[in-house]
Amino acid sequence: MSEATLPLQAAAPPRFSEDLVAVGLGLLVFLLALVSLAGADALGWLVTTSVWSNPAIALAPVSKTYASLGGAGSLLLTYLVLTAVLSAAAYLLGDDVKRFATAFTAVFLIAYASWFIGSWAYLAAVTPADQAKFGVSWSLKLTNEGGYIVALLVGLVIANAFPAFAERLRSAVRPELYIKIAIVILGAFIAVTMASKLTLASSLMLRGLAAIVEAYLIYWPIVYLIARKGFGFSREWAAPLASGVSICGVAAAIATGGAIRARPQVPILVSSLVVVFAVIEVLILPFIAQTFMSHEPLVAAAWMGLAVKTDGAALAAGGITQSLIQAKAAAEGIVYQPGWMLTVTATVKVFIDVFIGVWAFILAYIWTNHINPRAGALKARLGEIWERFPKFILGFVATFLITLALALGTTVGSGQLNAAIGEANVLRVIFFLLTFFSIGVMSNFRQLWQEGFAKLAAVYLVSLFGFVVWVGFVISWLFFAGVKPPLAS
Amino acid sequence: MAKPDLREATSVYEPLLPIEKKLIGWSLGAGLALLALLVVVNHLVPLN
Repeated sequence: MSEATLPLQAAAPPRFSEDLVAVGLGLLVFLLALVSLAGADALGWLVTTSVWSNPAIALAPVSKTYASLGGAGSLLLTYLVLTAVLSAAAYLLGDDVKRFATAFTAVFLIAYASWFIGSWAYLAAVTPADQAKFGVSWSLKLTNEGGYIVALLVGLVIANAFPAFAERLRSAVRPELYIKIAIVILGAFIAVTMASKLTLASSLMLRGLAAIVEAYLIYWPIVYLIARKGFGFSREWAAPLASGVSICGVAAAIATGGAIRARPQVPILVSSLVVVFAVIEVLILPFIAQTFMSHEPLVAAAWMGLAVKTDGAALAAGGITQSLIQAKAAAEGIVYQPGWMLTVTATVKVFIDVFIGVWAFILAYIWTNHINPRAGALKARLGEIWERFPKFILGFVATFLITLALALGTTVGSGQLNAAIGEANVLRVIFFLLTFFSIGVMSNFRQLWQEGFAKLAAVYLVSLFGFVVWVGFVISWLFFAGVKPPLAS
Repeated sequence: MAKPDLREATSVYEPLLPIEKKLIGWSLGAGLALLALLVVVNHLVPLN
């Protein structure tokens, strides 16, 4: 499940949970987007970046209503509003607001600069027509979502070459918060996409069930067995590790650690490994998908959801895969409707997330009653299912259902709704970007070489590349082969 | 509470308990059965 954040040292006890803050901010963005349906453009000042060869005209406000702001003005306004809103979030989470705002300034500037670089025509232009339009003779054809990869690489450089600087950024390096906000906004985007082809959409969701079975009932027991029998790990380490590799990364490892009453540091150490491997996957798998699966876009998208651990990395990998495959298809004259591949990745991931609480309860019951039944120790309670349920999913469901209802049950025009949600989607992209950069900054490869880490990494390596990636591919193929996203009209 | 050390993760051998074997076996068995069921459903209700 969710992203790879190691707990920060809070300045004060959190006033609200991170999930609730993320839901609140995601819903705020969503409601502001809906305001435009009433005629007021509340998010049109947000900055967007087009593919560019002349940097002076790359930035612009997303809505022409705010054209007078210019690119620099909209960038400044976007930065100021995000800093203010996220600083308020940091306050609610018990962080030092001044320290957060200072660090966030650097995080935002570096992340957005990465996005800007990623939109350079030499990196982003896709078709020969684009290359001619921008006056470049070649390009890497990464699309402007290659900016995610640039942000990730810059974060990795900072983490590994400038660890002192990475430490100074740390209070604003919150991939878990950023991706949860993005997922809440994503619910609306997915609903708009699905509303146009409801039969296909409901069929895709049915296939999401296979992801749950695969993650919890096939991956988990095999990884646990490998860790216990193959590598001799104790139960306290093997269970969080199995959850980290199988289910959804950091939150699953932490939920499992709590369920089996492991010491808190155990899942945290496992989590740092999850982040590092998620980075490696994001840098490799989308390009493999583009090379070998460009004619099976939905197989590739489902594969990202099943193989890449942590929500942020998986959704970003889905986004990059979508861009890369759409670019390759466009070069062959096939133009898919945007959004469908990301929808499949998100559906797979969200379906997996939903059951973390149930799985943690099952493990808690077995551990507290059979494996480690200490007198006086707290037994597993049914309430733990709700306690461990990732509440930000409720925000995702809310924006999804409201948008779907607006699209199907009202007279709001689809163009108007698309435009409104499109403005919110600009912020979703920015939160993805912040997530990517943050994951990079948190990924200190040197940690792998700390004494004892190699063996933990070996289990992860064997499990992830030994069968998680391949079984994920086979199951994606079984359920999605031959199905193409709708073509753009 | 002692801070865990990665070296201790494998320092003491803990044999698989019957309940762990059950957990692994039942999970895998249920997983494969459900997956087979979903493959059949997928075949009967194809995506298009």
